[in-house]
Amino acid sequence: MNSQEKEEYLREYEVLKKKGKPFFPYAVAKDSIMFLVVVLVIAAMSIILGAEQGPKADPTTTTYTPRPEWYFFFVFELLRVIKPAELTPLATIGIPTICLVLLLLLPFYDRNAERDPRKRPVATSMGIMVIIAMALLTFLGAEAGPPTEITMEAAPQYEDGKVAVAGQGCLTCHKIGENGGTLGPELTHIGAELPAAGIRRTLLNPSGIMPPYTELPPEKLDAMVEYLASLR
Amino acid sequence: MAENDADKTDGPVSGSGGLEKPHPAGYFEGETMTRRAAFTVGGQAAGIAAVSIVALPLVAFAVAPILETPEEVWEAVGSTDEFSADVYLPVIITIRSGIGEAGKTTAYVRQGSEDLGEDPADYIAVSTRCAHLGCPVRFVRAAGIFSCPCHGGAYDFEGKVIGGPPVRPLDRFQTRVVAGQVEIGPRYSVTGDLEPVRARDPGEFTGGIWEYLYPPRPSTAPAP
Amino acid sequence: MAKFPDTLLPKALRKPAKPGENGNSNGASANGEEKSVVVEKLKEAPVDLVGWVDERTGATPFLTGMLLRKVPKGTNWFYTLGSATMFAFVVQALTGVFLAMYYTPSPVEAYASITNLTNDVFMGEFVRGLHKWGASVMIILIFLHMGRVFFFGAYKYPRELNWVIGVVLIVLTLVMGLTGYLLPFDQRSYWATIVAMNINGTGPIVGPYLADFLRAGAEFESTTLSRFYALHMLLVPGAIIAMIGAHLYLVVKLGTTAPPWLRADTKPKALRTEKVKSQNGGGS
Repeated sequence: MNSQEKEEYLREYEVLKKKGKPFFPYAVAKDSIMFLVVVLVIAAMSIILGAEQGPKADPTTTTYTPRPEWYFFFVFELLRVIKPAELTPLATIGIPTICLVLLLLLPFYDRNAERDPRKRPVATSMGIMVIIAMALLTFLGAEAGPPTEITMEAAPQYEDGKVAVAGQGCLTCHKIGENGGTLGPELTHIGAELPAAGIRRTLLNPSGIMPPYTELPPEKLDAMVEYLASLR
Repeated sequence: MAENDADKTDGPVSGSGGLEKPHPAGYFEGETMTRRAAFTVGGQAAGIAAVSIVALPLVAFAVAPILETPEEVWEAVGSTDEFSADVYLPVIITIRSGIGEAGKTTAYVRQGSEDLGEDPADYIAVSTRCAHLGCPVRFVRAAGIFSCPCHGGAYDFEGKVIGGPPVRPLDRFQTRVVAGQVEIGPRYSVTGDLEPVRARDPGEFTGGIWEYLYPPRPSTAPAP
Repeated sequence: MAKFPDTLLPKALRKPAKPGENGNSNGASANGEEKSVVVEKLKEAPVDLVGWVDERTGATPFLTGMLLRKVPKGTNWFYTLGSATMFAFVVQALTGVFLAMYYTPSPVEAYASITNLTNDVFMGEFVRGLHKWGASVMIILIFLHMGRVFFFGAYKYPRELNWVIGVVLIVLTLVMGLTGYLLPFDQRSYWATIVAMNINGTGPIVGPYLADFLRAGAEFESTTLSRFYALHMLLVPGAIIAMIGAHLYLVVKLGTTAPPWLRADTKPKALRTEKVKSQNGGGS
C-alpha cells in the first residue's frame, strides 16, 4: 500500500468510526452474550461427553495405536501420506515451518489495499483452499484406522478369515477397504482378480518383497483364503 | 565563558560564529558528558551483571540433562535356551529406573541366525520403537515382519525397512551372555547396512554425512 | 476531582439532582429531611468511593478511553470471536489453577492423582471436563477468529503488528495443547508426546539437542513430566498473557476495522453553488 492508499484508508476509517456506537455497552453486550454461549457450550460438553480417563500409560505395549489430539490430526495425516523416508524431515519440520512463515509474514507480502473478500480473489481463494485442505487432512486423520482392523463389513461365515487377515500383518502393506497401507497392491477386490487357488499360491509362495505365510496352521490359511476370495 | 562556548559549537574551526550544539535529551544544568556516560555505562553494566548471575546458571540448569551420560545398565531377561534364531520373543526391560512403568520398554530378542550370517553365540535384541517417529511396532510372526500402526512403516525380519516412511532400520540393544543368562544393555542405532552407531532418536538418518547432520549426543551411551 | 462518567453507572447509583434544581423547593418535614439526607448520602456512597480511587489513580481517562471509544458502523457478531477466545483462555487458566491443587506431576503418581480427582473429589469430573473440552473450544475459536480477521482484511495497514502477535498466540496455544495433554499420563498422552518430541528431533543439527532438552535426556526421564508441567503451568501461560496484553493494547489503540463491504464517502461535499442574480441586469 502506498502512502496515498494508507491515508485514504485512515480517512475512511475515521468517518465509519464516527458513525459507530460506543464500545460500552453495545459491543460489550455482544461480547458478554458470546462469553455466556462459550461457557454454556463448554459446560454442556463437560456434562454430556464427560471426562473419562483412558488406560494408564504403558510404554511396553506392542498393540496400542498412537494417535494425537484431534487438533493435530492434520499434521498426523500429512506424515501418513508422505511415504518416502527421505521426505520425512520435510513433513515434520519443513512444511510446518514454511506454513508458519507464510502465515506470519502475510501482511508484508499481501500489500493490496482492498479489504472486501469479494474483491480480492487471490487471497480469498487461497484462504478457502487452505481451510478445505486442513479440514480434509483432519477428517482423513480421524478416519485412519490401525493396521490390525478391517472396518469393511464381511458376511458372518467369513468373519474368522477377516480377523485372521487383520491379525497377520497383511494390512501393513495391502489396503482392504479403507484400512491398510500402499506398499503392495490393493486387495479390496482381489476375489475378482485371482481365483482362490491363486490366492493360496501367493500366500505360500509370494513374489517380490512379500514374506511367505508358510507357518500358518491349515485352518487359519483356509479361512484367510476364503475371506480374500470373497472380496469381489 | 569563551571555553564553554567553544565546547558547544560545531561551526567553523575558528571557534566563533558557529551554531550552538543542541543539548542531549534530559540535559540538566551543570551536566558533563563524561559524567553522563559514566552513569549510563555503569548502570547498564550492573544490570547486565545482575541478570547474568541469575539467568546463566538457570539456563545451564535447564540444559544440563543434555550433557549427562546415564549409567550403563544391564538386565538379565532369560536363559540362553529360551530364545531361538527364527522367531522373536518380547521381553520387558527397564531403561530408566525409579519411575515405575514409565521407565520400561519392550524389546524383541532372538538368537543369532546362521542363515543371515550371524554368530549363534550372539543374541539380537531389537527395539520396539519405530525408526520413523517412535510409535510401538509389533512383530507379526506368520509374516516375519514388524508393522508400525501409526504411519504405515514396515520392517523385515532383521529390522531393515521394507517400505513406508521409516528412515533407518530398527534400533537394537547391546547384548551379552553372563552365566547362561542373556543380558540386555544400552540402546544403539544402526545404519542401513546394520553397522552400529551411537543411539539416535527416531526420524534421524544414519550413516555417511548424516552422522554430522544428526550428531551423536552425550546423553546416549557410546556405540558398541 | 475528576468526574466518573454517569453513563457507566446504573440509574439508581447516579448522584441525585441537588435540591432546588428541579424546582422542588418545598421542604419536607423535619423527620423526612433527615431521612432523605441519609438516604441521599448512602446513594452517593459508591460514586464517592469510585471518585476516591479515581483521584488517586487517574483511572477515569483510561477507562473512558477504553470503554466509551466508538466501534465503527457495521460491527457484527463476527467481532465477538476474539474476546470469546480470550474468555475461553480465562476458563482454561481458572480451571487449570484449581486442577493443579489435586494433580501430582510425577510419572508414578500422575495417573492416580487424576483418577482421584475425577472420581473422588466433588465436581471433579465436571471441572476436569471443563478444562479438557475448553481446550478444544479455545482452539476452534482461535482458528475462527484468525479466519475472520483474514477474510475481513483486518491484518492490513495499520494492523500488521497485531496479526504477527496473533500468529504467535496461535502457536503458543497449540504448544499449550501439546504440553497439556501429556499431564493425564494415559496411553494417548504418552505416545502422542513421544511422537511429538521425536518430530522435534528430526530437525538437522539442532533437532536432537532440542528433543533432549524437551525430554530432559535421551529417553523418557523421571523429570520429563515435571518439565512439561513447568512449561504448561508457568512459562507458556505467562507468554500468552503478555501477548494478549500487547494484542489488546493494539486493538484499543488502532480500533477494530469496519466490515470491509461498508464504504464511506470521504470526498468533501462540494460547496453549495448559489446563483447570484445580477443587480445591474446583464454583464458578468
